[in-house]
Amino acid sequence: MSKQRTTQPITTGTSVIGLVYDGGVMIAADTLLSYGSMAKSFNTPRLYNIEDRILLGASGEYSDLQEIVAKVKALALQETTNSMESIYVDRKLPAKSLWNYLRAVMYQKRSKMNPYWNDVVVAGWDDQADKPFLGTVDKLGTTLQENLVATGFGGYLAMPLLREKWRNDLSEGEARALLEDAMKVLFYRDCRASARIQLAKCTSDGCIVSEPYELDHSNGWNAPSMIRAAGDLDGDGGW
Amino acid sequence: MYDSAMPPRSKPLRSGGFNKNTSSIFDPLAGQIHNSEGYGATLGKIDHGVTENPYERRFSPYDFNGGTCVAIAGSDYAVIAADTRLSSGYEILSRDMSKLHTLTDKCILGSAGCKTDVDQLRSVLDIKMKMYHHNHRKTMTTPAVAQMLGNTLYYKRFFPYYAFNVFGGIDEEGKGAVYSYDAIGSFERTPVTATGSGQAYIIPLLDNVIAHRNRLDEKRDLLKEEVVEIVKDAFISCGERDIYTGDKVEIAVITKDGIEKTYFDLKAD
Repeated sequence: MSKQRTTQPITTGTSVIGLVYDGGVMIAADTLLSYGSMAKSFNTPRLYNIEDRILLGASGEYSDLQEIVAKVKALALQETTNSMESIYVDRKLPAKSLWNYLRAVMYQKRSKMNPYWNDVVVAGWDDQADKPFLGTVDKLGTTLQENLVATGFGGYLAMPLLREKWRNDLSEGEARALLEDAMKVLFYRDCRASARIQLAKCTSDGCIVSEPYELDHSNGWNAPSMIRAAGDLDGDGGW
Repeated sequence: MYDSAMPPRSKPLRSGGFNKNTSSIFDPLAGQIHNSEGYGATLGKIDHGVTENPYERRFSPYDFNGGTCVAIAGSDYAVIAADTRLSSGYEILSRDMSKLHTLTDKCILGSAGCKTDVDQLRSVLDIKMKMYHHNHRKTMTTPAVAQMLGNTLYYKRFFPYYAFNVFGGIDEEGKGAVYSYDAIGSFERTPVTATGSGQAYIIPLLDNVIAHRNRLDEKRDLLKEEVVEIVKDAFISCGERDIYTGDKVEIAVITKDGIEKTYFDLKAD
């Protein structure tokens, strides 16, 4: 019996973006599930809260994300209830440990030529360093720990905006505004994105994942550069 | 005329074949293949190997994350340097990702290539070095690590670590030792080496200035401070021409007294 391998993602989610601000870490993703060029579902959350300590989100194949989250939830539960120390100390799975564990999982799957077709974002509060933690793992197992992350299209469209506006002393409100602005740009320019988004934040007190809500695009396509396709020099160069 | 023993003639797929449509004489599309490619499709049809023949989507387990590493051996020091840019395709993933990995207090491994394979290789080496330390109650010497790295790479000969390594350190006699590798573990001790995307820009420069090839003036031993300045210049030139090299250079100088790291900014474009 021949074994099947992943060759392409079928049901997908688009970009996840995130940043570290003063006091925590915040990530955002839209809730559109795409089936090729079909918009399959408008309300599928892609950000998860693991044991109130770690935020997990991913772009790419949705079924693989569900597998990863199931494994991660089981691991986190095991860590708090089953591990050797858990009967003596209140042990919770650190975000960085989870990030490393996911890296090992992703690497092993890619080495068998059967990857989880996802770009995963892991966020949490690093108790040891007393700082927020934000990292990514891609389908090959490439890991990054940065103050700003974006997967998929976000790397091209949102990252330049985030890099321009980010400071390491951003307040929570500023961080949220920056992420929402980037998500709006993604909605306009990524044809697999929607204006219905989900935000999640993690501080030293714990994690919160918001309910999906719609970004205000009521003055939708009225942005100056979209009304007047300016190919001339005093415009923005056009489309 | 129609022999009943003969099988019936199957209708050809092209329209206009046995078409009794009298307008076929005037119909410019008669006899042409009707597909989405249109009228001109039969004229000078080019097969791009995709639309005509079956093809398979392929997942590649490798990615090229770019970067350049350099290592230079001196009389009693070794200089090893690498840029800190991590890229994937035309995207920059990070401007501050170190390519240098300290293995002992006397040697450093610099690796460019596929970051996930590089990380795995480093983990494997760290474990092996720890085991050596447990078994022999001493740290591995630089030539021993060099050999072990070669063996570790060859172990994956039929699914290689996509890692291009330079290894530099101080040997047992206190002299600088630099080794260069290919992806499957072939290695050699050399006075000077470079690897990665900018290898072709840096090696000719270093051949002339450090290894003193094709020069008529007298060769003299260079001080480590001079070598560091040469390395900075080499990376500036490399960063101009190679899109994967830039942002910052991390320069490590290894002497018997330890490892000293400095950083030097490059252009971010």
